[in-house]
Amino acid sequence: MEVVIASSPVDAGIGCWDLHSGAEQLRYRSCTSTPHGLACVGQRFLASSQLRDSSSSSGSILYWSWSKPQVEVKSFPAEPIHPLVSNSDGMYIIGGGSSGAIYFWEVASGRLLKRWHAHYRAVTCLFLSDDESLLVSGAEDGCIRVWSLFMVFDDIGMEMAKNPYEYSFSEHTLRVTDMVSGYGGCNAIIVSASEDRTCKVWSLSRGKLLRSIDFPSIIEAVALDPGEHVFYAGARDGKIYIASINAETTSSNSYGKHIIGTLSDNSKGVTCLAFSKDGILLVSGSEDGTIRVWDAKTHNIVRIYRLAKGPVNNVLVVRRPLYSNRQTSENSHSSFSRRHAPLLPPPLGKYVNSTDENVDSGAVSVPQTPSSDIMDAPYLSYHVLTKQISELQQQSSAATGMEVDRLNLDCKRSVEIVQKWKEMFAYLHKFCVDELLGNDQTQTQ
Amino acid sequence: MAAFKHFQNMYDISLKPRLLRSLIRDHLPDEKHPFPRPSELSIVVSAIKTHGLLFESCREPVDPKQVDNWKTAIDAWVERLLLLASSKMPDKCWAGICLLGLTCQDCSSDRFLASYSVWFQKLVAQIQPPSASHFVKVASCASLADLFTRLGGFSNLKKDGTSHAGKLIQPILELLSDDSSEAVWEGAVDLLRSILIYFPASVHRHYDTVEAIIVSRIMSEKCSATISKKFVYCLALLPKSKGDEVSWSLMMQKILISINAHLDDAFQGLEEETKSNEVIRHLVPPGKEPPPPLGGQPMSGEASNQATKASEQFILHRVSLLVCSCCTMLTNPYTIQVTIPVRPLLALVRRVLMVDGSLSQALLPFFTVIQQESICSDLPLLHLCTLDLLTAIIKGVRSQLLPHAADVVRLLTEYFRRCALPALRIKVYSIMRVLLISMGVGMALYLAQEVTNNAIIDLDFIAYGWGRASYNPNSKATTEALHQPSHRKRKHSTITASFQVQQSGVGREVETVKNKQVTPIAVQIAALQALEALLTVGGALRSESWRSNLDLLLITVATNAYDGEWANEEKGISVLSFEPNCTWAEFQLAALRALLASFLSPSRVRPRYLSDGLELFRRGKQEIGTKLAEFCAHALLALEVLIHPRSLPLVDISSRSQGEFVSSFDHRLPENLFSVSQKNNNCTFPGDILVMDDPELDDDLYSSWLGNGEETDVPMSVPDKQLRSAQELCGKDVWQATGDCLAEKILSDSTGALFLMEGDGGATGAAHMEIGGNGNVIMTESEQVQEIVRNNDVEAQDKDIVISTGSFTLIEGKPKKGKAESNRIYASKVATTISSFSVVNGMDSSDPVAAAATAKSTPAQGGLITTLISEKGRGLSLEYNTDASMDSFPDIVDGDPDSD
Repeated sequence: MEVVIASSPVDAGIGCWDLHSGAEQLRYRSCTSTPHGLACVGQRFLASSQLRDSSSSSGSILYWSWSKPQVEVKSFPAEPIHPLVSNSDGMYIIGGGSSGAIYFWEVASGRLLKRWHAHYRAVTCLFLSDDESLLVSGAEDGCIRVWSLFMVFDDIGMEMAKNPYEYSFSEHTLRVTDMVSGYGGCNAIIVSASEDRTCKVWSLSRGKLLRSIDFPSIIEAVALDPGEHVFYAGARDGKIYIASINAETTSSNSYGKHIIGTLSDNSKGVTCLAFSKDGILLVSGSEDGTIRVWDAKTHNIVRIYRLAKGPVNNVLVVRRPLYSNRQTSENSHSSFSRRHAPLLPPPLGKYVNSTDENVDSGAVSVPQTPSSDIMDAPYLSYHVLTKQISELQQQSSAATGMEVDRLNLDCKRSVEIVQKWKEMFAYLHKFCVDELLGNDQTQTQ
Repeated sequence: MAAFKHFQNMYDISLKPRLLRSLIRDHLPDEKHPFPRPSELSIVVSAIKTHGLLFESCREPVDPKQVDNWKTAIDAWVERLLLLASSKMPDKCWAGICLLGLTCQDCSSDRFLASYSVWFQKLVAQIQPPSASHFVKVASCASLADLFTRLGGFSNLKKDGTSHAGKLIQPILELLSDDSSEAVWEGAVDLLRSILIYFPASVHRHYDTVEAIIVSRIMSEKCSATISKKFVYCLALLPKSKGDEVSWSLMMQKILISINAHLDDAFQGLEEETKSNEVIRHLVPPGKEPPPPLGGQPMSGEASNQATKASEQFILHRVSLLVCSCCTMLTNPYTIQVTIPVRPLLALVRRVLMVDGSLSQALLPFFTVIQQESICSDLPLLHLCTLDLLTAIIKGVRSQLLPHAADVVRLLTEYFRRCALPALRIKVYSIMRVLLISMGVGMALYLAQEVTNNAIIDLDFIAYGWGRASYNPNSKATTEALHQPSHRKRKHSTITASFQVQQSGVGREVETVKNKQVTPIAVQIAALQALEALLTVGGALRSESWRSNLDLLLITVATNAYDGEWANEEKGISVLSFEPNCTWAEFQLAALRALLASFLSPSRVRPRYLSDGLELFRRGKQEIGTKLAEFCAHALLALEVLIHPRSLPLVDISSRSQGEFVSSFDHRLPENLFSVSQKNNNCTFPGDILVMDDPELDDDLYSSWLGNGEETDVPMSVPDKQLRSAQELCGKDVWQATGDCLAEKILSDSTGALFLMEGDGGATGAAHMEIGGNGNVIMTESEQVQEIVRNNDVEAQDKDIVISTGSFTLIEGKPKKGKAESNRIYASKVATTISSFSVVNGMDSSDPVAAAATAKSTPAQGGLITTLISEKGRGLSLEYNTDASMDSFPDIVDGDPDSD
């Protein structure tokens, strides 16, 4: 089931709607999320970093399981966390702190594996490249950095390298508001938006700026067309601008260079954007508390959801597993399904443990349904049969064993038959003798 | 069954019962008839398999009477089998049991569910003691295994199946503990495996006994390798019977401790003592009780030491089996989430890989040569399975390898530098491949240099040594050029190197060029695959240092691999004939795959060897019926996108309502010619043709045209054009002076069309100055052109075309007028023009219309034609400039759409 989830900085909970039917699902309570602070961890549960008043020194990250509206797990990292991302199999959660540090947690154990100083100002957005080996972070000072996760974990390599990061882009002059990456692994492009009213397109492989596009308003969110022909930029003036990525366009346009159109319904500022899996439905969150679903083909609004009175600051389109169905189908052995019920992992740790302590650090294997076995299960008897037939034909020792058995049995039976014949013969013999003797007796009489 | 009631065909359902009955009658023994020759049985089996005689269902609905008929036939079959299975004669009994197993597998679900417990009873009776023949035992084990396999498919019968399977465990254990033949063990262990896979809970009660027996079999020296593998697999599956995390972890811990203890024995004197403790420290946290030994008996320490002293090599054999069991545990799915002890596993891997058989100086006196020899002879096997373990770890922990990745890579690269045996190198390459693919660019940054260096060394022979090197003394120089000086370390590893030559065993060393080592083809294939993975994942990021070397290497290898095939056939006994043929084909495939990756991997300029590569793929595609041909077809498809890059819009613009998009449309058209081709559907327009153009000129032309269209100022570039057109006028004069008979006719067309056709370089045919006039004119004129062309025998020499996008501004100018319709009309006109001009272009064709048609249909030519048009466009513009009447031009442009 493909669902839209959305959260708000005011306490309106996390809304959840079925993208295709439009039906509202469970609403998860008590969430005041930071921008980019909502993540779906490996399709198993939702996590969100929370806004805190500035007086509090520690942050908080909350977990919700799909099936319950209440907060299930609360973690309190050392500082407020703004953006939050998780890798696709939900093994790690990465958060960007207000001090500019990036936190790297292992979800299953809750351990903080790594914390490193990434930026001078607060981290505003984070994402992982599509092979999940590069992490891109944007900060309040407009700096964008590309990190190789391997390098981050390689203490020796880190010391030898000139910079801990792969690239550092500092062309943006103000806060980076959103970033999105395209397709193509290391050859992907990155589109970033900033409060300096520009969106910039970067090449990940060359590490340089490809194009900078000026917008009439501050862009809060960007989403990339899956074909990477254009990208969509949600602006504070309520429009979603469509800007071209490849084509050289000239400046004689009502909006500006490279901007080829807008999606607009005269609403308040657009704060977040997300594409559905099919690459046609574009979901946008607005400051007026509504979520609009656009058809990128026709530029029409398909659906409007209402989350809160306050602004929406996160929308995600995620696939939600159908746990309920699975349980009913497997209720014949309930223990199995109980084991599979999503148990949430422990809260996230506050500090990096010293290395001596985590002696039993281990990875967690993903439980897999054993059904795959059944498909490739080989049947044996045919092979055994053919093997044995050939053994029989070649008169091997095992075969002769059986042959001997058979001959023994044959022999036994033949002996029995011989015995019978013998008895019969003896009987006949006796009979004949008796007859002869009898005749003799009668003749002699 | 009437004798003349014929069947429809061989698919007729009424054939099946009849066939089955004749099989029963003619080929199966019964109480009275003796057992026929065993080949009879295979006739029965093959008939059943091919005709599906036991399926009891068919695709289309049929007469229920026939279904009934079939059903009764199968009833008879099963009855006969049961009769045979309970026969006293072992051979008949055997036949019955075997066929019963086959029936379990093939019969319909209903029949299986109805009668499996009866069959089970029959079969169980045969594996219990009074049964005499091993042959029968093996057959009944196999049949039982199939019965459980089938039963495992019915999820609603888990409980029933478990209780049935529970009854079997005891007999199986008896079979396994008996000192009977290997075949029986194999049958029993197969059965145990099926039970463990489908009904693991049934083993729960006997967990410890099963573990003990399996371990004792693994540890005993009697089993052959294949059976040991099966035992190992069962051991790995055993924790499933309890199905909790504790038993899995405990089993893993026990196995690791056992491996470690064995290694202690084997590696005495080859490493520091502390290595062993390191693994143990990770495994058993200080202060905790170590778990009971594997299999319940004391394995490590003195007991095992004494028992196995005699056969030291066997220790390593056991270790490899236990490692194998670890691999299975790591890669097989387990029902619940478990914690994999990554650190101890990696510590173990490191421990083994660090031992290479060399002795520390201090220990030399305590070690005999024989001891060292025996260790060294078995170490490669141990390394091999340890590398397997590493692969399994990588697979098992997936993305969670991240914190350990750098360690793994460092271990691996260090090992790679020393590793010289072909089998080991293949394994290392494959691990690197897995790492690259699973971990992406970050890993590529780490591994790139290592993989490239090693692959260059391994492929050296095929790239430069093979074939040519034997004649060409200069080849060494080229090889050296390819090598970076720092990569030659491996050549100095003398001991291992000589080993490799022995191992390669292809008899090549006779011909080895200049004492160079010969790398076996399998290693080369592995190297190519690793390169392919590297290019796939990390071709773009920070690849400057190795990329060009690699591209050169791959094209050389691919070319040589391909040449090699013919050389091989000619020479008869070339070095390659020692290799099995398929391996060589695999090598070619691997070379082409890597080549494709090198082309497709992102780069900033066009791949340098693209056309060579395309040629190779085209040739490869002609090897009909081979994998190579399939791959080459795929490669050509993939490269098509490289040559015609696409950035496709979400919406087809022509189908959109014009009003909304027309403004943006105007601006995109000139530089994104793709949209033009979309409208015309004439040709796919390669985007990079544009790149070849001089952009400044375009911009000038473009802006000038825009200016003209809006009736504004005189274009800036006019003087230049006037100059050029003046030259052309000059030429025209000369041409006129030749006094050709057709000159008048041409002149009457008010253009210098043919002159321009003949002319060199950029500005050619302006034949279509009436292009915007009306369609008829175009047609007539093009006919004239043909005529002229034929008569004059003019060659269309101007192939070296300067492509002008600016000329398209002519086309562009019209939609700008805001007339939606004119657009389409114009497009159609362009099409007409194309067809008419393709005649000029494809002059050698006798039938002009046909030529036009073909030209239109093939995109390649289409591109050319379009470029011609564009030239004409320019010609047209120039023509008007010559007239020096700047006013006239906008008139025509304006007039076009309206007049239509």
